[in-house]
Amino acid sequence: MMTSTAIRIAELVPAVPPVPVAEVVEATSHWWAGFILWFPLISLVLCGLCAAFRVRSKLPAWITIGSLACSFVLTILLGNAEDVPERILLFEWISMEWLGGSFVANFALYIDSLTILWMSFVTGLGTLIALYASEYMEPDVGKGYTRFFSGVSIFLFAMGCLVMGDNLLMLYLGWEGVGFASYWLIGYYYRRPEAVAAAKKAFIVNRIGDLGLALAVYLIWATFGTVQYNELMTIIQSGDFSEVYEGWSVKAIPYLLMLAAFGKSAQLPLYVWLPDAMEGPTPVSALIHAATMVTAGIYLIARMYPFFLLEPASLHLVAWVGGLTALLAATIGMAQYDIKRIFAYSTVSQLGFMFLGLGVLTTYGAAYHVFTHAFFKAVLFLTAGAVMHGFAGQLDLRKLSGLRRMKGWRIVAWTMFVGCICLAGFPFTSGYFSKDAILAEAFVTQGPGFQVLGWLAIFTAFLTAYYTFRVWCRVCAGPVHYEPGDELHDDDHHDDHHDDHHDDHHGEHGFHPHAPRFAINFVLVVISVGALLAAVPYFMPNEVEGIKGGWVADMVHGSSAASGIPGHPDHPGSLSDSAHGDGHAHHGTILGMDPHSAMYYISGVVGGVGLLLAFWLHLWRRQDADRLRSWLLSRAWIRWLPVAMENKWYVDEVYHALVRAPLWLLGHVFHAFDRYIVDGLLVDGTSRLPRLLGRWFQPLQNGLLQSYAVTMAGGAVLIVLMMVLMMQFFQGGAVQ
Amino acid sequence: MMLQLASTFSQLSLSQYLVLSSLLFVIGLVGFLTRRNLIVMFLCTELMFQAAAIAFVAFGRYWFDFSGQVFVIFILTVAAAEAALALALVVLLYRRRSTLNADDWMELCE
Amino acid sequence: MDGLDPYIACLAGSFALYLLLRRGPLVMKLVGALLGLGTMGWLVVICSEVVPGEVDPARNVLFLVFATIAISAAVRMITHSRPVYAALYFVMVVMSSAGLFLLMEAEFMAFALIIVYAGAILITYMFVLMLAQQASEAEQIDEAPLYDRFAREPGAAVIVGLILAGTIVTASTTGLGQLPPPVDAATVNTANGALLEQLPNQYRDAVLAADPDLVWPPEGADSVPPIQWDADGPYVHVEGRDVRIDEEFMPSNTQHVGWSLVASFPASLEVAGVILLLAMFGAVVLARRQAEHSEDELRVDAGLKPVHTIEDEEGGA
Repeated sequence: MMTSTAIRIAELVPAVPPVPVAEVVEATSHWWAGFILWFPLISLVLCGLCAAFRVRSKLPAWITIGSLACSFVLTILLGNAEDVPERILLFEWISMEWLGGSFVANFALYIDSLTILWMSFVTGLGTLIALYASEYMEPDVGKGYTRFFSGVSIFLFAMGCLVMGDNLLMLYLGWEGVGFASYWLIGYYYRRPEAVAAAKKAFIVNRIGDLGLALAVYLIWATFGTVQYNELMTIIQSGDFSEVYEGWSVKAIPYLLMLAAFGKSAQLPLYVWLPDAMEGPTPVSALIHAATMVTAGIYLIARMYPFFLLEPASLHLVAWVGGLTALLAATIGMAQYDIKRIFAYSTVSQLGFMFLGLGVLTTYGAAYHVFTHAFFKAVLFLTAGAVMHGFAGQLDLRKLSGLRRMKGWRIVAWTMFVGCICLAGFPFTSGYFSKDAILAEAFVTQGPGFQVLGWLAIFTAFLTAYYTFRVWCRVCAGPVHYEPGDELHDDDHHDDHHDDHHDDHHGEHGFHPHAPRFAINFVLVVISVGALLAAVPYFMPNEVEGIKGGWVADMVHGSSAASGIPGHPDHPGSLSDSAHGDGHAHHGTILGMDPHSAMYYISGVVGGVGLLLAFWLHLWRRQDADRLRSWLLSRAWIRWLPVAMENKWYVDEVYHALVRAPLWLLGHVFHAFDRYIVDGLLVDGTSRLPRLLGRWFQPLQNGLLQSYAVTMAGGAVLIVLMMVLMMQFFQGGAVQ
Repeated sequence: MMLQLASTFSQLSLSQYLVLSSLLFVIGLVGFLTRRNLIVMFLCTELMFQAAAIAFVAFGRYWFDFSGQVFVIFILTVAAAEAALALALVVLLYRRRSTLNADDWMELCE
Repeated sequence: MDGLDPYIACLAGSFALYLLLRRGPLVMKLVGALLGLGTMGWLVVICSEVVPGEVDPARNVLFLVFATIAISAAVRMITHSRPVYAALYFVMVVMSSAGLFLLMEAEFMAFALIIVYAGAILITYMFVLMLAQQASEAEQIDEAPLYDRFAREPGAAVIVGLILAGTIVTASTTGLGQLPPPVDAATVNTANGALLEQLPNQYRDAVLAADPDLVWPPEGADSVPPIQWDADGPYVHVEGRDVRIDEEFMPSNTQHVGWSLVASFPASLEVAGVILLLAMFGAVVLARRQAEHSEDELRVDAGLKPVHTIEDEEGGA
């Protein structure tokens, strides 16, 4: 078993294959890589200038798009450069040395294949989504337009720091930076109380995770004496820390990192902020809260994977939390009506899958799923945004229908379809392959209850397929019908609903939805094509033997995320397997078959069944769905299930009771303490004391010159007496 | 007859002058406390200055250090300045109420 | 032991002062005066008992005379009901303390005290007193104002004075035995010689008076030769022989004070000058009687039309 092994460092170290740290070069030839970071920063500055000069055009959008595109191009160029991993020093940031210790955290880039993989979709999707937003945010031109794009710029800069940083301090900087950008952009509509509350919620919940990261960084530095990846990996690889390994700190580090990852990537118990974060503009939801920022937790664990391998129990916890989050979020997503919320819960669910992948030792699966998920979830959010944009904020899937038959909406409908089949894991789509990699590994890897976890994950995949197509069938298929939302921004769209009142027989109030124009359609098509093409790497040949996945697998295996995971096909198992050099002994099976081949059929069937169920209930026989619902609600023994699912399992309410209410109470207690004890007793008391003294000595200040003179004489007497006494004391009795 | 000074100045002499000085000072203080007339009160402070001057000169004589006498010059300076300002103020006050009684100006404390 | 003597003496003196201050029959005041004088004598005795050292009898007599005058005048000053007399008694205190200064060989300060205090400051007081008393004197010639006739709370004041006197007197009698012995002749001579070397003209006069043939200052020497002392007095070793210097050329007290003032306290001297100047300005500004100008006068001065004229014109129209 895993837990029984890997405790002794001597057994553990051989299990850790060479982490690619030895070849790290201090590159000077790729100095331009720094501009991947600087371009968003330049864009931020220019956006700030635009705000200062009150630019009332789309200039900020084009600045941002241009600089992000430059970053993307540079990333691709950097990826094609052969000599990764390398370290690129931008400038000396913190460099302190003292006797017996040092603290070095330079502003340097640590470029390895994992970094490139992450940055490629971060900058690429960032560019495309900025392009999308240039049209989506049109109503705000001259108002919040600049603010929005500067937020996007700062997000990209922070994300670059997070992913490309050479040390944990830079990662922390980026971590806080993306948190700040997220807060900034969720609260973009700062006039709406819900948006402000959501922004605060996201920020505060993230603080809990950030605390974990801060403590982890401290602890890593205190234990290993450095926060630079290169040095850390070298130390771990050499195994030259056996004296500290016995201590608690090495065991505690992965749990703290995990806390950070769960906060940022919205896992149990800290996932509650992500669904609320959908109050932000939809491009933000697509970019930050679906595709990129929320995968920072995955990146963190992948990057620090060797630390987790030192404490295998932490990986079990990661797997279980991920699996349970996936299931919980999927069940909630089934019962929601708000399209963006459904997608938000599906994001939480898919992030759970990724953590499951990390926990069951397939960093490749997790990273591949991150990669594919970034594309298809971005598509889904962007289509939801297009719908919201066109139907005046309408997102209720009960009030929208037949989008694919409406003029100008076909691209939206079919790109959403692409996103849905990928998310549902329909065979031969990208999501299918990436999810399979994780699901199969759950059965392969030995761990506490991993078989059960695998079946739960398959069930979750079924639910995913169902609720995904529930959305598509309701919104895009079926008879044409719609009701506008409540965000009729009249001043911006005169031409849309003042000109033609007559041909509008569907909506009320003469509402006419305005179909997306070029920028949105273009971006949707490009990203959905990308989502489909994301399946291609799976079929491509790759350098690392035994694992499919083309260059994605190569990239993951070229980084620290691969340490501890053998590259040989016969050893896809756990640490202990490879340590013993005998993979088959503990190779897990599913229904007596090899999980890798069996999973193709199982997940394909599961996805198909879910899809068919959705088509049946929500397209072909919609009345059946209503009948099922009323049947469920009329049976006492089952009624709690749909109600609880619709109410998100009352998690927010439970948190309110367990966390917010006690804190509220505590706050009031502290307030009372501050008011009565600190203010009343200490502050006012201190001020009352001189007043009291003053009342005692007030008679002295009576305006009689003589009384002042008496006081002065008394003081003089005291001084003289003191001097006499001191003289006698020091000179030993001057009287004699 | 080496000595330029007419006589020695022993500790006893010093103590006599100091006692005299302290008595004068205390008399000045008591006068300041008992008299009601502003001008006489100022005179009493001058008396206290005088006492201090005697002590300064006595100590200077004892140490054969002329700084004592130099200090008396400064005391004279301060006394003169004080007399000028204080008397000017007294004149102002007197113009207001035609009285030199210090007790009549008690409300100045506010 | 009799360590309590100074305190008891102070107590007696304070009681005497109290008797003199309080309202009472003349006999009691006489008793007070006698008690005070006795106390003064006792204090002198206490001093000579406690403090070591010799005093010159003739000088001691003079000291006692001046001290008695000073203290008596001071007591009379604070007990007299007429401020003018109080000021005159203060002049007497100043005179007697000038005498005491002479006894202490502080001749310059003695005469400066008389000139500045008795001559200048006290005259200022007298002027103000005259100015202030004028009105009230006119009404009641024989009687001083009530507030001058009665001491306020003499008992309390005397107790305060007693405490202060007890402390200072004890300190200035008991502590003095610890002082080093008084300066000897050698120290005084060195100080005198050192100052004479700083005064080139006087030094030259002293040397040439003894030996007019000398070349002074000596040729080829960077500095003047130092003054030396032997049993016969000061001399200078110059041109291979000793030149006696007459005592009368030694620096006087005034020269000592002047040198000390200018050489040691030049900045303080400047500050004292500034203080005097500012005091003069202050006194001038404070005592000046403000002429009351009406608003119209001010307007006219400023080149504007008087207000009431405008109003009149409007009223007329």
